[in-house]
Amino acid sequence: MLDALRFEWTRLRTLRSTYWMVGSGLVASAAIPLTLGIAAGSEPLNADSVNLGLNGGASFVIPFLAVFMAVVGIFATGHEYRHGTIQPTLTALPQRSRLILAKILTVAGLTAAVTLVSIAINATLMLALWGGVPGLFDDPVRSALLGYVAYNVVYTLVGLGLGLLFRGVPSALVVIFLMPLIIETLFVGLTMVPALDWLAPVVRFLPFTAGSELMLTSAAEFGPAAPDYDFFDRWASGGVFAVFAALIIIAAWTLFKTRDA
Amino acid sequence: MIAAKGLHKRYKQTVAVDDLSFEVRPGVVTGFLGPNGSGKSTTMRLMLGLDHGGGETLFDGERFTDIRRPMNRVGALLEAKPFHPTRSARNHLKMLASANGITDARIDEVLETVGLGPVKRKQPKGYSLGMAQRLGLAQALLGDPRTLLLDEPTNGLDPHGIHWMRDLLKQLATEGRTVFVSSHLLSEMQLMADELVVIGRGQMIFNGDVDDFVREFTQSSVIVRGPDADAFVPVLEAEGATVTKGGDGELVVSDMAIGAVGHLAFTEGVELSELSTRSASLEEAFMSATGAAEQFVAREPVPATTTGGARHA
Repeated sequence: MLDALRFEWTRLRTLRSTYWMVGSGLVASAAIPLTLGIAAGSEPLNADSVNLGLNGGASFVIPFLAVFMAVVGIFATGHEYRHGTIQPTLTALPQRSRLILAKILTVAGLTAAVTLVSIAINATLMLALWGGVPGLFDDPVRSALLGYVAYNVVYTLVGLGLGLLFRGVPSALVVIFLMPLIIETLFVGLTMVPALDWLAPVVRFLPFTAGSELMLTSAAEFGPAAPDYDFFDRWASGGVFAVFAALIIIAAWTLFKTRDA
Repeated sequence: MIAAKGLHKRYKQTVAVDDLSFEVRPGVVTGFLGPNGSGKSTTMRLMLGLDHGGGETLFDGERFTDIRRPMNRVGALLEAKPFHPTRSARNHLKMLASANGITDARIDEVLETVGLGPVKRKQPKGYSLGMAQRLGLAQALLGDPRTLLLDEPTNGLDPHGIHWMRDLLKQLATEGRTVFVSSHLLSEMQLMADELVVIGRGQMIFNGDVDDFVREFTQSSVIVRGPDADAFVPVLEAEGATVTKGGDGELVVSDMAIGAVGHLAFTEGVELSELSTRSASLEEAFMSATGAAEQFVAREPVPATTTGGARHA
């Protein structure tokens, strides 16, 4: 297994796109506290705004870092097929399950590490702009930040699973952007139509929407027309997201074991 | 030693590899021949566990997928450009080496061996097919393996490169390694291979020595020249020989040994200026052996006057 981990780590760090994605994610994430600090540096910070600054807007706007790391996840498997490197990969490491497990562990580890670095960068920026980061190590911010790390890891693994399932990059990219940004948003919107409010109980099972609960310090706001979605608690909602990722990875893994390379 | 037993692969209605069994011995270069679409690449992928199908292949008694750090035992070159366009050649090999406990010094050594030393840190997206093949060969040689599986390794190489590849593979075989190489360049194979595995439509046609293959699938001809050669034709045919006229007016006699032809000329008083045998080439043997097994048959060229091509030109 160590050989497989060494292989995957070398694969990741010898790709220019890894550095671009990680760098872009860190910059995009840091832009949020920087912008907020410049625009409203004199405003007092509460738990929600501290959380928002530390996770780079992930709990409110778009999870920038998660999206960029998901692309790293997609590349981890999709690139192998796009550039035909799956053949030399499997002649160097023919034990397929070991290879996939190494990819999962390496990409998940990198995502967790990058997320922690991002939080540290954002905390430093907030410290510089506001003069302090109140409640950083206390709940609810502490739990929300742990949830943010978990969210990014699961999001990245969804990307990895999709890249392996589709055996390419474009289809996986379409799904990972289309599903949370359009399909789930549209579904939530439909529940606000009175005739379709019976759809509301399903919302807590929408994987990306449920996953977002991991990062919150207070209940999510969907607008005055939104019914009560009765979300599970933070970690159970994270479990919904994790089960979704696991289903994709299990399907992709099973097919990878039986398909021709 | 490679031992392939009952290899089988089906794509829906098409049987790509049909119960192939053969052995590849160490110490010699074994050529793998077959027409386009005959299943050569699929067979090699089956042998390495890249494709799923029936049968099994043992490399010195072990299946490829069971070998820990397989690059140290079996080196493979299967596709023309199997690398990421922005990862340098050295980093590409470093990635593969990291799974097989291979040192950086060995990476640099194989890159020098294949002639890519000066460009090892450059991105390979601009590599020609020949350079890509050299990188593929470096990949196969990386673990200094006892067994090599190479699919069309001379593709894209210039004449110097082909000559170099031939010498290298022969050298590796003389070191006692098992070298299994497919190629469509039959002239190269004739110079390089000692033994052959020939397939057509996924089925075994021949497995054995190159010379035996040529003997089995072609006939040696006797060349006859002389001032009265035409008059000699009915005499030869009366004795059961098959005679055709060559392009330079010579008689090409088959189904009769050279000694019998000479004796007949002597007894009939026919003056000869040449009496010699012509051995068939590997290419002729290949055409004879696989003619019926071609999957993709091109139309014979038609003269331009018939098609009107010249008028359109």
